[in-house]
Amino acid sequence: MLFEFDSDQRLLRDTARDVLAKECPPALVRDVAENGADPGPLWRTIGELGWTGLTDPAEMVELGIVLEELGRAVDPTPFLATSTQFTPLAPDAALAGRPAAAVLAGITARRDGEGWVLSGTASGVLDGDRAALLAVVTDAGVFVVPASAAAVTRTPVFDPVLHVAEVSLTEVRVSGSDRGVADPGPAREIALTGLALTMVGACQRIFDLALDHARTRRQFGVPIGSFQAVRHKAADMHVALVRARALAYFAALTIAENDPRRRLAAAMAKAAAGECQSLVFRHGFQLFGAMGFTWENDVQFALKRAKAGALMLGTAAEHRSMIAEEFHAAHL
Amino acid sequence: MQLTFDADVEAFRAEFVDFLDKNLPRESEATQRSRSSADIPPWARHWQRVQFDAGWLLPGNPPEYGGRNATLLEQYVHQMELSRRRLSASFNPQGLGIIAASLLSFGTAAQKRDWAVPILRAEITAALGMSEPGAGSDLASLRTRAQRDGEDFVVNGQKIWTSGAHDADVILTFVRTDPDAPKHRGISVLLIPTDTPGVTRRPFGTLLSPNDLDFNEVFLDDVRVPAANLVGDLNQGWAVANGSLGHERTLLWMSFAERLEDLTDDVQPTSALERDRFATLAMDAQALRLLGSEALARAARGEADTPSLSALKLLGSESVQTATEWALEAAGADALAHPARTAPESPFHHDSYGAGWFSRYAHSFAGTIAGGTSEIQRDIIAGRVLGLPRG
Ligand SMILES: Cc1cc2nc3c(=O)[nH]c(=O)nc-3n(C[C@H](O)[C@H](O)[C@H](O)COP(=O)(O)OP(=O)(O)OC[C@H]3O[C@@H](n4cnc5c(N)ncnc54)[C@H](O)[C@@H]3O)c2cc1C
Repeated sequence: MLFEFDSDQRLLRDTARDVLAKECPPALVRDVAENGADPGPLWRTIGELGWTGLTDPAEMVELGIVLEELGRAVDPTPFLATSTQFTPLAPDAALAGRPAAAVLAGITARRDGEGWVLSGTASGVLDGDRAALLAVVTDAGVFVVPASAAAVTRTPVFDPVLHVAEVSLTEVRVSGSDRGVADPGPAREIALTGLALTMVGACQRIFDLALDHARTRRQFGVPIGSFQAVRHKAADMHVALVRARALAYFAALTIAENDPRRRLAAAMAKAAAGECQSLVFRHGFQLFGAMGFTWENDVQFALKRAKAGALMLGTAAEHRSMIAEEFHAAHL
Repeated sequence: MQLTFDADVEAFRAEFVDFLDKNLPRESEATQRSRSSADIPPWARHWQRVQFDAGWLLPGNPPEYGGRNATLLEQYVHQMELSRRRLSASFNPQGLGIIAASLLSFGTAAQKRDWAVPILRAEITAALGMSEPGAGSDLASLRTRAQRDGEDFVVNGQKIWTSGAHDADVILTFVRTDPDAPKHRGISVLLIPTDTPGVTRRPFGTLLSPNDLDFNEVFLDDVRVPAANLVGDLNQGWAVANGSLGHERTLLWMSFAERLEDLTDDVQPTSALERDRFATLAMDAQALRLLGSEALARAARGEADTPSLSALKLLGSESVQTATEWALEAAGADALAHPARTAPESPFHHDSYGAGWFSRYAHSFAGTIAGGTSEIQRDIIAGRVLGLPRG
């Protein structure tokens, strides 16, 4: 296995990083958090760059590169839900430029003549409140419905830039042709991997800021980064990050190549990202001293994104609990 | 990035597997174990020579050094096949992986011919003489002195921890040649044959047994070493040390990857807690392989990036330590028995895993101490990878 980006992938990463430095600077994220600024222009830029076109699972590494950079920038758009939750469930329904979300649990489908009737309430739906289309997972299959058919309410959450919603469907009638038979398993692997890479990006941002601080903040006449207790925390954060990033891109690669290890690899990716954020959150926050405790400090946005990611789609411990079984099945 | 190998790499693998099938000694021939890391039993000497002559010992090398100019991916599958079958390329791992490798990087043509090739062909074995009683983590403070006298250097001082020295034919020895220069700039490297008058080797036991003899004290009293045995330029020993440490850390992360993979076979989780811990082990093993393949790719392009290997060494050694402690705990009171088998017999591996879980756990501290301790690795990462200011 050759585990290096090729030149196109490196170019994509550098381009994404440059574009996001301009189009999604910390000031934008703060403006969204404080004033509810509209991230629409960024969303259009993402479309123009062709990132919304990365819908073929064969391009999962490329999508992952974009997601890592967006995670680092604390993306305020609905790109994650659209590209890693909706599209894998309903690839044919994806509409260029339209945000979309997935309702993963809580809705039941009842047969009614030629069609189906959907009912139920789902909480914790990522970007459910600003999607145009919803892919609704039920025991009877995946249905695509316009968001206008649902009652949606944004749920206040600790990450002020993240959109999470409660979605209710009340006797929503859909035709049989709206039903995809997609097995939600492979789609879930894409969602897990995408979220893991988003978290890796957010952790990298926390780490970058903490390192800058450790180099410049002086106490006892020297930069705090010269204290070994600080240096060793930084080294451990580095190792946690490279480990999580390696496992996340491995998962992306197994998806791109439709390798039988993809289920295991996605669980590893999400578990490692969760473990990484746990360490990077703690040490990163701690190294800032009281400065990290303020609303003024932009590190808060990345801290919250990383922690929110850890809580969604299964925690590290939940994923670890299935790895042992999967491992022997997959012959890794 | 790629997950599967192209047909030509698979053909290379098949060729190596075919070579193993035809040439690997029978288990009944491989019963004699090595007694130290510089002791190669006769059957293993023969086996190493067969690998050398066929160009399978270090496939990335040119044929005169036991290889076949293999590409990076080919070297990688070669290494994977060895580790999957629990085969050691050599029972003198530091000879092959550190001393011969350093000579091929820094040695003269004559040194390559007279020392590197015999080490690679298992005609002789080698030990690494870096550490001293006063110079452990602070290697650059070493005090063993070498003074020029005509065509010779005269060496006085003491080395310690010199693994396998009592069974080795030669010691790659780090010495001070300029006591007045700043400490990193007065070090040189000499090949010291162990039968030279004035070389005294005293092996001593490990915590596992007074008879577990690999550690040595090496006393050097007026040892005359021909100047032709100087490796690299005079007073440029620190560059050789960094090269050697790079080779050592590469060797180390690969051995940690192997150990972690062996552990995924040797550990059978039976409770929720053990399954949780098993997951961490499986993730560490996978991450180390992935990161290692990246490091090998950099090395193959000639990017000598020793500091970046510190993350692999740290992750690998700490993971092995954690996993073996968990395995020891999982075995409970059964793990008190010593020696005890914790894995199937693997006669072709220098590490037989026959001494029990406590021993495997105790050995993990070799990983977190030798080749630069975990604390030193963290400091290297902080300073040289992350650019934090020195204390
Ligand atoms: C199994 C084994 C095999 C070995 N084989 C060889 C060999 O073949 N040849 C050879 O030359 N050497 C060999 N060594 C020696 C090895 O290289 C040294 O043990 C190692 O460099 C550490 O030195 P030390 O043991 O003197 O520990 P010390 O340097 O005394 O360290 C003791 C403790 O202090 C910590 N410490 C030291 N300095 C710092 C610092 N700046 N910041 C924070 N913490 C610090 C260390 O991390 C460690 O925890 C071997 C060691 C082992 C365990």
